[in-house]
Amino acid sequence: MTASLRLRPPRHRADPRAVAWWTVQALLAAVPVAGAAISAYWRFTDRPAWLGALLVVFVLLCAGFVLVVPRVYYRTGRWEVTEDAVYTRTGLLTRTWRIAPMSRVQTVDTVRGPVQRLFGLADVTVTTASAAGPLKIEGLDEELAAELAERLTAITQSTPGDAT
Amino acid sequence: MIPDIEETATEEDAAWRSPHPRVVVAAAVFSLAVAVPAAIALARFLVGRGVALDRGVAAAAAAALLVVGAAAVYETARRRATRYRLTGRRLELHSGIWTKEYRAVPRERVRSVDVTADPVRRVLGLAVVKVATGEKDASGGPAELTLDALAVAEAEALRGILLGGRAERPDDGPLAELRWSWIRYAPLTVWTFVGGGLALGGLYKLLDTLGFEPAKWETAARVWEWITATPWITVPLLLAANALLGFAGAIVLYAESWGRYRLERRPGVLRLRRGLLTTRSLTLEERRLRGVAVTEPLLLRLGGGARVTAVTTGLRKAEENATEEVAALTPPLPAREARRIASAVLREELDPAGLRGHPRAARGRRVRRALVAAAALAAALDVLDAWTAWVPAWAWALPVLAVPAGWALAAEGYRSLGHGLTRRYLVTRSGAARRRTVALDRSGIIGLTISESLFQRRAGLVTVSATTAAGEGRYDVLDVGRDEGLRLARHAVPGLLEPFVEESG
Repeated sequence: MTASLRLRPPRHRADPRAVAWWTVQALLAAVPVAGAAISAYWRFTDRPAWLGALLVVFVLLCAGFVLVVPRVYYRTGRWEVTEDAVYTRTGLLTRTWRIAPMSRVQTVDTVRGPVQRLFGLADVTVTTASAAGPLKIEGLDEELAAELAERLTAITQSTPGDAT
Repeated sequence: MIPDIEETATEEDAAWRSPHPRVVVAAAVFSLAVAVPAAIALARFLVGRGVALDRGVAAAAAAALLVVGAAAVYETARRRATRYRLTGRRLELHSGIWTKEYRAVPRERVRSVDVTADPVRRVLGLAVVKVATGEKDASGGPAELTLDALAVAEAEALRGILLGGRAERPDDGPLAELRWSWIRYAPLTVWTFVGGGLALGGLYKLLDTLGFEPAKWETAARVWEWITATPWITVPLLLAANALLGFAGAIVLYAESWGRYRLERRPGVLRLRRGLLTTRSLTLEERRLRGVAVTEPLLLRLGGGARVTAVTTGLRKAEENATEEVAALTPPLPAREARRIASAVLREELDPAGLRGHPRAARGRRVRRALVAAAALAAALDVLDAWTAWVPAWAWALPVLAVPAGWALAAEGYRSLGHGLTRRYLVTRSGAARRRTVALDRSGIIGLTISESLFQRRAGLVTVSATTAAGEGRYDVLDVGRDEGLRLARHAVPGLLEPFVEESG
C-alpha cells in the first residue's frame, strides 16, 4: 500500500453554453461595480491622474473577472453519475470533491432561472439527509438535466429505507 | 413491537385526552414570577407618589391577584383547547386557543421521548412530554410535539407505549450512575470565571426594574470609592470573590442538573435520567444512534475530565444559551470513565491510543496561522495607534503574549489531530481549545467530501469529511496526508470511493 492515490476527475463537464451564461452573471455583478467606480471618479473627485490610473486598473480587473472566471469555472466544475453514486468536483483555490451514494439520495431537483432558460440550461440539485448541504451540478443542457433528474429519481425510489 | 401493547393502545387510548387539570395550578405558580416583582414595583411607585402605605400595598396585592387570575384563566382555556390521542398508528395533538393547530406524528417515526418535570410541576405530580421525530418542520428544525403537562404516571405510560414497551423491560444494570466525587469537575468551565459577574449584573438589573437604583445608594458610592482608592488590594479581592461565587454556582448547577444521574440500556433504547429538582428523562432509540462524541474543553482537559454526547438523528439542537446540550449522555466526569461509557454505548472499545497522528505539515499550518493572527493583532494596534494616538503601552504586550499562547495552542491542536477506523466506526479527533473525539457509525455515513485548499495542496494535506443525517451533519478529519486520507475514505465506506480513485507510482 505504498502506491500514491489520487481522485480522478469526474467524467463530464457543464454544457459549453454555460460559459456564456456565467459570463452574463459575471457582467451583472461587474458592470454596476465598475460603473459606480467610474461615475464616482467623474463626479466626486477632481479627477487626479493617479486615481485615474488606479481606476483603469480596477476596470481592467473587472473585465478580467468577466473573461476569466466563467472559463475557470467551466474547467474546474465536473460531474459524474454512476449506478451507485453522484460525484462532483468544484472550486479552483479550494478544490472539493463530493460523493453521495445513490442509496442515500432523498430528492433531486432541477432549477432553471429565467435568464438561464434563454440559454437552454438547468442546474440539478441532489439532496441527502445531511445538514452539510446538497450536491449541485450546474449549467447542464435542459434536456440532459431533466433526463438525469428522472433517472436519479427512478433509482432512488427503488431503494428501500428512509436514506438516513 | 409487542402485540398486546399495540392492542391496548388502539383500544384504550383512542379516546381524546386533555392535559391534567393541575396545569392550571402550575401556571398560577409560574405567574408569581411576574406578579410579585410587578406588585413590589407598583407598591413602591404608589408609596413614592404619596399614597398611604396600606392602600398602596392593597392595590399592589390586587394587581398581583389579577395577574395570577389571568394566568389561571388563560391556562384553563389552553387546557380546554388542547387534546391528544394515541391511536395504533399515530400520536395526534389539537392545540391553540386562537389559532387552531393539529399535528400528528406517525408512531414508527418517534425517535426520542423526553419527560421533564421542574420543581413546581414535580410537586404537583406533573411532567412535560416531548416527542421528537427525525422529520424536519417548516423552519428546518426537527419536528417536535409537546404535551404540557400530564400526570407523571400517564407520561411514563405514554413513553412506554411510544417506544414499543421496550423502555419498561428490566435492564441489565446501568451503564453509568452518578458518583458525587465527579462534582470536582463542575467548576472547570469558563462560566466559573464569568458567572459571578453575570449573576451580579442580573441582580443589578432586577433591582433596577423593581425601581431600586443601587447606583445611587450611598453605600454603593462608598464601596466604589474604596475600590478605586486601593486597587492593588480590592481588584484581586473582587476577582477572588467572583471566582468563589462562580465556583459555588457551578457546584450547585452541577448538582441540580446531574443529581440522580443514571444512564441505562434497555433492549433497543438508551435511557437517561437526571436532575435533582427538575427531573429530566430522555429515551433514545438505539437504532437512531450514529455514534458518540467525547468532548474535552481546555479547562476540563487540564483537570483530566471529559463529557460524552450522543450523535443521533431526531434530537433538536440545543438553544444558543442553553447551559447543556440536549444530546449529553454524561456530566463532566473523569476521562477514563468517559471513555468507558462511550465504549459501552458504542459496544466497541474506543481507544484514543489506537488513533493515527497526522503529518508534521499539519503542525506547520497551525503554527503559521497562530503567528499570522498575532501579526494581524499587532498591525491592527499599529493602525489604531496611528489614527487615534491613544494606545496604552501595555496593550503592546497583547500581540507579544499572543505568540507563545498561539504557539502552544497550535502545538496542542496538532497533538489532538488523529483518526482511525474500527470495525463499525470512523473515529476522528481534533481541536485545541475544545478537543473532541467523534466515533461515527460507518453505516450512517451518507456521503463523503474531500477538500483541498491551496495551502493544503502545497503541504500535501486534505480534509476528509463524512456527512451524516445525525448530530452536526458533518464530521471532519482535518489535515490528513493525501494518500492516508483517501485510503481512510475508501475503507470507511467500502466501494463508494473505489470507482473514482486512481493509483499511481
